Amino acid sequence: MDIRWVWESQNLAQRTLEHLRMFGIALALSVVIGVLLGLYLYRRPKLAPIAFNVLNILETVPTLALLVLLLPVLGLGEKPTIAASVIYSILPIARNTYTGLTSVERSYIEVAEAIGLSEREVLLKVRFPLALPLIAAGVRIAVVFTMGVVTLGGLIAAGGLGAPIQTGIHLYDRDIIIVTGLWVGALALILDGVAALIERYLRDRYGRR
Amino acid sequence: MVIEMLFRRIETVELRDVTKRYGDFTAVDHVNLEIIGGELLILIGPSGSGKTTLLRTINRLIEPDEGEVFINGRNIKEFDVVKLRRSIGYVIQQIGLFPHMTVKDNIGLLLKLEGWSEEEIDKRVKELLHLVALPEDFVTRYPHQLSGGQQQRVGLARALALNPPLLLMDEPFGALDPILRKQLQEEFLRIKEVLGRTIVFVTHDIEEAFKLGDRIAIMRDGRLVQVGYPDELVLNPADEFVAKLVNVDKKFKHLDTLKVKDLMVDVEKYIVEVQRKDELLQWMRDKNIEFAVIVEKGALKGVTDLKSLLKSQDLEEALMEPLVFSPGDSLASALAEMKRRNAFLGVVVEREKPVGILLANEVLLKLL
Amino acid sequence: MVGVERVLGAFGEHLVLTYASLFLSIAVGIPLAILSLKSKRLASFIMGFANLVQAIPSFAVVAIVVPLLGIGFTPAVFAIFLRALLPIVKNTYVGLSEVDEAMIDAARGIGLTEWEIIRYVRFPHAYPAMFAGIKFAAVLANSIAILTAIIGSGGLGSLVFEGLASFNTDKILAGSIPAILMAVFIDISFSYLEKRVTPEGIGGG
Ligand SMILES: Nc1ncnc2c1ncn2[C@@H]1O[C@H](COP(=O)(O)OP(=O)(O)OP(=O)(O)O)[C@@H](O)[C@H]1O
Ligand SMILES: [Mg+2]
Repeated sequence: MDIRWVWESQNLAQRTLEHLRMFGIALALSVVIGVLLGLYLYRRPKLAPIAFNVLNILETVPTLALLVLLLPVLGLGEKPTIAASVIYSILPIARNTYTGLTSVERSYIEVAEAIGLSEREVLLKVRFPLALPLIAAGVRIAVVFTMGVVTLGGLIAAGGLGAPIQTGIHLYDRDIIIVTGLWVGALALILDGVAALIERYLRDRYGRR
Repeated sequence: MVIEMLFRRIETVELRDVTKRYGDFTAVDHVNLEIIGGELLILIGPSGSGKTTLLRTINRLIEPDEGEVFINGRNIKEFDVVKLRRSIGYVIQQIGLFPHMTVKDNIGLLLKLEGWSEEEIDKRVKELLHLVALPEDFVTRYPHQLSGGQQQRVGLARALALNPPLLLMDEPFGALDPILRKQLQEEFLRIKEVLGRTIVFVTHDIEEAFKLGDRIAIMRDGRLVQVGYPDELVLNPADEFVAKLVNVDKKFKHLDTLKVKDLMVDVEKYIVEVQRKDELLQWMRDKNIEFAVIVEKGALKGVTDLKSLLKSQDLEEALMEPLVFSPGDSLASALAEMKRRNAFLGVVVEREKPVGILLANEVLLKLL
Repeated sequence: MVGVERVLGAFGEHLVLTYASLFLSIAVGIPLAILSLKSKRLASFIMGFANLVQAIPSFAVVAIVVPLLGIGFTPAVFAIFLRALLPIVKNTYVGLSEVDEAMIDAARGIGLTEWEIIRYVRFPHAYPAMFAGIKFAAVLANSIAILTAIIGSGGLGSLVFEGLASFNTDKILAGSIPAILMAVFIDISFSYLEKRVTPEGIGGG
C-alpha cells in the first residue's frame, strides 16, 4: 500500500486543514450556543422540558437527511455542514450545562449566600465552576458528533476528509479508502482523547466527591 | 411435592480448623466448632471479628483456605454447591429481597425453580406468610411497599420456602428499630419452636444472644474464644474479654436511683383512638407499626399488636391489658414486675393518659 | 416527481437494512454483555473497544468495510452492525453489572445458580438500560442505513444520493423525509416499549 502516494494525490494535508477548520468553527459555535442555552434554561426552568424534547427529536434525525434538507436554505459546502454539526451538538452541551448548574449541592450555595455573594455572583463564582466537569463531558460528546458530521460534509462539497473517502469509494480504490479512513479514525480518536484529558482535568480540579 | 434435600435433619455441623485469609490478613483463624443438631447457636463478637466470614463457609459462599466443614459427617465439598445451598436457609441483615418481584414471587422463586405447580406454590407461600405473621393479601405487594420488619419477615419466609433443616442468619434483626426488633425476636422464638431446626445466628447484641441462643460462641480477631451455654459463660468466662461481654450485672448498680420516666420511650407514635378492628389495621399499616396503644377520650384502654389483631374477631378481643406504671415509679421494681409477668413492655400512665412506654430490652441497652 | 412505488420500494429496503442490522447487533450484543460478566478483563476490553469505535465517524466505518467485504447489502449490514453493537453491549453490561451486591449475595446464598441469577435477578434490572441502548442503536442504524447507499446497500439513501447528483430536490425529499419519520417512530415506539418492559418495583419506588 502506498501511503505517500495517497497522501499526495488526495491532497490530505490540505484536506485535513479544511477538516479541522470546519470542526473548530462548528465546535466553537456549539459550545457558545450550548452553554448560553443551558444558562438561559437554568433561568427559565419551565422551558427546559420543552427545549430538551425538541432537541432530543432533532438528535434522532439521520445525519445525511439533515444535511441535505439544509441544502435548499444554505446551499452546498461548509455552511450546511457547520449548521448540522451545531444542531446535533447543542443538546449534549446545553443539557449538561443545565444539569451541572441545577445539581450543585445545596450546602455550597448556602455558604456562598451566607458570606454575602449576590445571586449573579453565586451563579458565576460557584455554580458555573462546579458545573464545568459536566459541561466538559457534554463538549466531549459534541466533539464526537461534530467529527462525524464534518466527515459527511465531503458528500455535499464541503471538502475536508470526507471528500477523499467519497473519491475512494467511487473509484473503488482500496488504498485511498484505507489510508483516508484510518486517518480520519485516528484523528477522531486523538480529538476525543484530548477532550477526555480536559474533562478529567476539570473533574480533578472542580469535581465533587 | 417432595423436595430433594441433601439431608433431612442435621445431626452435626462440624467446622474443623477453618481458616480464611485476605492477603496477609487472617479473617478466620483455625476455628474448630461443632454445632449440634436442633440447637440455635449464636455467633457473637465485635465488628470485624470474622462472624460473617465463618458463617459463609457453611454454605460455601466462602471457600476456606484451610480446614473443612462437615455436615452429618460428610465433607460439604462432596455436595453440589447449589443443592447444598438449597438445603440451607440463608437470611442476611440487608435482606436482599428482589425489588422487581412480588412477595409471592420472592418467596416462591425457589419453589418454581424446583418445578412446583402454581397451586402448590400458592399454598406454600400462604403457609409461610402465616408462619411469619404476615397477612395473606401481602402476596401481591412489592418489597418497597413493606416496612423494614415486614421485609425481614418475607426474607425469612423465602429462606424457609424449601423447608431446609439448617438455617444461617446473619444479624437478621440488626437494622430494625428496638421495638420491632423485640417483637421479631419474640416471634422468632415461637417460629423456632414450631420448626425445631438447627440454626446458626450471628449477632452483635448480647441481649439477643441470651434471649435466643441455646449455646453461644464468642469470636474475637478471627478466633473462637469460648463456646458454651449462657450460664457457663457467665460463671466461667475464659478471659477478661468474655467476662466483660457477658457480665452485665455490675453495670446496674445505679439502678436504684433511676425512675421509670428516666428511661421510658416516646409513645406518641403508637397512640390511636379507634373503634373498629379494620380501622385500626388500616391505621397500623399506614404508619407501618406493629403495635398500638388504644385510648378512649385520651385515657388508656389497652394495647394490641398486629399479630393478635389479625387473629381475633374484633378489636375488643385483640385488646390486652398492659402492665401500667407511673413516671415516678422506681425503675428497678418496674423491671422486676415486668420480669415476673414475663412482659416485654409496660405503659407509663399519668392521670390516665399514656405518656411513655417502658421496654425491657431498651432499658437494658441504655444501662449498658 | 418521484414515483410512489419507487419510494415505497426504497423504504422497504431501508427497513430491511435497518432492522436486519439491529437484530444482528442485539443477537450478538446481549450474549457478549453476559459473557463480559464472567471476566473483568473481557469486560474492560469490550468497554474500551466500544468507547473507541464510538468516537470514529460513521462514514469512516462504512468506508473501511469496502476493502474488507466489497460493496452491496451485506457489507452495509456489517457496517451498521458494527456501530449499533456497541451501545447495546455497553448499556446491557452496565445494567447487568450494576445490581445491588447484597441482593446477589442473598440470591446465591439461597441457592440460585449463576445462570438463574442472571435470568431472574440481573436481567430484570438491566431492562431499562438495555432498552435505552437498543433505542440508541436503532436511531443510529436508521441514520447509517441512509449513508450506506454510497456502498450500494440500496434503500432511501439511493434516492438521496441520486437527488444530490442531479440536483433533484424532489428525490432528496423523497429519500430524507421518510427516514426522518422513521427516526421519530423509532424514538416513540422504543420509549413506549421501554416503559412496558420495566418491571414494577424497579426505579420509581
Ligand atoms: N472480601 C474481603 N476482602 C478483604 N477483607 C475482607 C473481605 N471480607 C471480609 N474481610 C475482612 O475480614 C474481617 C472479618 O469480616 P467479617 O465480615 O467476617 O466480620 P464480622 O464479624 O461479620 O463483622 P460485622 O459485625 O461488622 O459484620 C474484617 O476485618 C473484614 O474487613
Ligand atoms: Mg458481619
